[in-house]
Amino acid sequence: MTREFKKILRFWGIGLVWFYFLLWPLMGLKGDQVSFADSLKVWAAVAVASGLCVVVWLLRERGVLDPLGRGLAAGRNAARAAYSGLPVWVWALVGLACSLCLPLVANRYVMDVFINVLVYVCLGLGLNIVVGLAGLLDLGYIAFYGVGAYTYALLSIHFGISFWLCLPVAAVFAAIAGCFIGYPTLRMRGDYLAIVTLGFGEIVRIVLNNWMGLTNGPNGILGVKAPSVIWPSFANGFELETIWLRSLDGLYYVILGLTVVTVISVYRLNYSRVGRAWEAIREDETAAELMGVNTFRLKLLAYAMGAVFGGLAGAFFAARFRFVSPESFTFLESAMVLSMVVLGGMGSIPGVILGALALIALPEAFREFELYRMLAFGAAMTIMMLFRPAGLIPAPRFGSRSEEAD
Amino acid sequence: MKKLAALVAVLCVALMLGACAKEEKKEPQVLKLGSLSPLTGPYAADGNDIANGARTAIEVIKSEGGIPGFDDITLVAQDSACDPRQAVAAANKLINEKVVGVVGAYCSSSTIPASETLAEQNIPMLTPASTNEKVTERGLKYMFRICGRDDDQSVVAVKFMTDYLKAKTVFVVDDKTTYSQGLADNVEKLAGEKGLEVLMHDHVNQGDKDYSAVLTKIKSMNPDVLYMSLQNSSSGSLMAIQAKRMGITAKIIGQDAVYHPQLMEIAKDAAEGIFLTFGYIDVDKPAYKKFIGAYEPKYGQPGAYSGYAYDAAYTLLKAIKEAGSTDPAKIREKIMAMDYEGASKHIKFMENGDSGSNYIIRVVKDGAFANFWDPATGKTY
Amino acid sequence: MDYFLQQLTNGVTLGGVYALIALGYTMVYGIIQLINFAHGEFFAAGGYMGVILIGWLLTTGAPPWVCLSLGMLLAMGYCAMLAMAVEKVAYKPLRKASRLAVLLSALGMSIFLQNGLMLTQGVYDKAYPTQMTQGGFAIGNVSISYMQVIIVAVTAALLIGLNLLVFRTRIGKAMRATAQDKTMSALVGINANRVISTTFAIGAALAAAAGIMVGFYYGSVRYDMGFVPGIKAFAAAVLGGIGNITGAMIGGFVIGLVEIFAAAYISSQYKDVFAFIILIAVLYFMPTGIMGENVDDTRV
Repeated sequence: MTREFKKILRFWGIGLVWFYFLLWPLMGLKGDQVSFADSLKVWAAVAVASGLCVVVWLLRERGVLDPLGRGLAAGRNAARAAYSGLPVWVWALVGLACSLCLPLVANRYVMDVFINVLVYVCLGLGLNIVVGLAGLLDLGYIAFYGVGAYTYALLSIHFGISFWLCLPVAAVFAAIAGCFIGYPTLRMRGDYLAIVTLGFGEIVRIVLNNWMGLTNGPNGILGVKAPSVIWPSFANGFELETIWLRSLDGLYYVILGLTVVTVISVYRLNYSRVGRAWEAIREDETAAELMGVNTFRLKLLAYAMGAVFGGLAGAFFAARFRFVSPESFTFLESAMVLSMVVLGGMGSIPGVILGALALIALPEAFREFELYRMLAFGAAMTIMMLFRPAGLIPAPRFGSRSEEAD
Repeated sequence: MKKLAALVAVLCVALMLGACAKEEKKEPQVLKLGSLSPLTGPYAADGNDIANGARTAIEVIKSEGGIPGFDDITLVAQDSACDPRQAVAAANKLINEKVVGVVGAYCSSSTIPASETLAEQNIPMLTPASTNEKVTERGLKYMFRICGRDDDQSVVAVKFMTDYLKAKTVFVVDDKTTYSQGLADNVEKLAGEKGLEVLMHDHVNQGDKDYSAVLTKIKSMNPDVLYMSLQNSSSGSLMAIQAKRMGITAKIIGQDAVYHPQLMEIAKDAAEGIFLTFGYIDVDKPAYKKFIGAYEPKYGQPGAYSGYAYDAAYTLLKAIKEAGSTDPAKIREKIMAMDYEGASKHIKFMENGDSGSNYIIRVVKDGAFANFWDPATGKTY
Repeated sequence: MDYFLQQLTNGVTLGGVYALIALGYTMVYGIIQLINFAHGEFFAAGGYMGVILIGWLLTTGAPPWVCLSLGMLLAMGYCAMLAMAVEKVAYKPLRKASRLAVLLSALGMSIFLQNGLMLTQGVYDKAYPTQMTQGGFAIGNVSISYMQVIIVAVTAALLIGLNLLVFRTRIGKAMRATAQDKTMSALVGINANRVISTTFAIGAALAAAAGIMVGFYYGSVRYDMGFVPGIKAFAAAVLGGIGNITGAMIGGFVIGLVEIFAAAYISSQYKDVFAFIILIAVLYFMPTGIMGENVDDTRV
């Protein structure tokens, strides 16, 4: 007990001294001026905050917080019991009902954030097929998002084709792009795959930025049409009226619809023969091949299927902003989508949804900090990973594995 | 630094409780002005200049007696990160905060989608930095522009090359952003019309540090003028240093995005003699003195867009003061009727929301910017 | 011909810069197979520390060469400390977790460090005291600056030094053992945590040296300067073969040369595309990089 206590205090003390050594040159040396005031202030704040954390941790270790912990555990168990007491589809319906009612209670800003969340849920679920199910690390996923966005933008500008018709076209184009990227990478594994997909993502972005004739380069494409619905109107007799869904509420329902489609398809894929085969490839490619899984075709299919959902989300992105430009498809976006998948729990649908919610909502919650926004976001990302390395809601895995035994 | 301390504390509390604490403050009668600019990311330097310029305008207005009916004026500075998605989210956030008007954004690709969102709520938006023509050419009633337009800037640059420098050949390079490429394209077109030979129009990528390949090309072609169209002063200084090291003798012409005191700070003697197209600044006029007097002690030397952002915020607040109301239609009416001498230029708007350009040629001389050549008269200052 | 030779000089220098960053990158990479996004930030922090410390030392009136070497050493020490702290906080607790979890933690650290630099050092560029290292010479019409020579020379020296370290010393042997099998190396008495920590420190010190060199060469540093070189170094390390020190250097030079020559003879706006196409083509035909790996990837 006391040994443990001493150990943690020592760690804390050394950490703080270490931290000050790192902080002081950055804050205390300005030209020829040497000062300690600023750096000491920040250091003291960090020391107090981390000290509080240590105290709480120690109290927990000593059992002072046990009653509280028991209460929490009881609550969690009750929630878990309630959760597993009802079939999954009931919870899905409850979630859907809540999402449907959201526009009634939320203001503009919240609606906007939720639209973003849903777009990233689609993207995350798409990438989840590649990374979570098939186990292929993809750092250039945002390219498919870009392909989808540009497909709809160009078709809308040049041919005036409606959003709904363009959706499948965008999906097909993205799938073709997926195969293009997938093909040369099939022989590679691990990090070789990561850098090659990253390279492909960058290539797509640079081409979008430079192919003036097609994409209008960095200026982007203006004047993309919003989604429309045809609605019967009885104002003067009966006629069909075209309504542009420009309001946030309208757009919200469109993306909610897309998300529901995505969730259902990914769920069905996951439990299909193909999904099982992907998981087999993820666990052990050689063994899967020996068992008769056509790894070549299935890996290509994983890229294509993942790309389809990226393409759908991309088409919606273009329709929502009525503007696309290459700046939206940078490597950092790919990294963000990947983070959602990993943070949520690879291969788990509710996990990815939660991951997208966390990573879109967090920077928004930190908006109050202005300049400190991204600093807080980076720290939060690392801390969340430290506490939940397997993700917020890890996917259930079937059977036991050799590496878990040791 | 207080903020960082608060942040760390809040973060820890939030983590321990597993909930995010967020406090709501309610103060009586605060006039809220919004600003949209990239506070983080590669354009953070210019983005912070914009927010600081707007803050200065608020202080000046307050010191002039504030706005009747309001106890305080605050700036809600939002990060657009030069990304359309975040810009629109920030615009919606500003609408929620009930701002009366917005100063921003920086990148045209943020300004355009954000302005459409703000237009839905009839919130006036004054951009201090987006020079793309499209910004004011979409028929939006509440979109105004304080800075000049790309098409005016290139006219002055080419006129300077032919009339003053008597150049025969020019090499154009841009860094593939809406702004830099638009300018470079215009210069290329105009130069062709004026009989100035464009040896080549080459591109580098935004974020590059090494321009040696392109500069070697320039050296081998030996043009009279190098038109350096870059998105920010940091790329501008890098190119100036490397051009000097390479031994390029061509006159270098830049433009307002490269205009920043850090150009001389970093490029040092390599910056000497660089010409820039920039709005005419009369450093002796009272409006400029008022601005610089309030800005410099707090934020240091102003950047390219500080003055424009100051004028944007000042114009908006002045319009509210004169209108005696925050009703958008009345604000617009007063903005359109504006006719006064601002810090950066004479403020008078045209029907489409543009305020005209007053570009001249400035030069880096002895480590400072100086007025150099007036395109209207064709004479040096 | 002059044009070609000048572009070759440019390419070799840029390649040297990439190789410098990639050398440190591949050390860390080889031992724990971590795509260390924060490496670019160590590079940027080193660049900043260089200008801060050298600038400060110069005000004390010491002779320039003392300031330069002492400042560089201190900056390298600083980055080594920073890297050890980052490793302890963000990577060590995740040693048993999936590799993607560590990747994410590294990404979070990278964002955190980059913004930390921005907040403490400001959003503007910081100028280097370049007057100390100015100048150069010309061979025919090809101009070469002293900094270019120094960069290439340091890269070569580091390559030899690192190879000696890894293949001739006790700690190098421990590193290779840990890279191959952590459990087994622990059984034979190697303190894996200490070895990994040391590797991080060495890698970050190299990154700091690269940052200072780049600062002197280009004349300024900026808080987000680490991001693009970080990716390029990753590409160079993979191209050469993961964990292979000689490979990382070759990879760096290949990418630098391809970029410069693509810009010089084909199209400068598509130069990165060519670099990545070469990368993909090489990996398609040599799936474990140009030099092959030092470690087998059965556990990857």
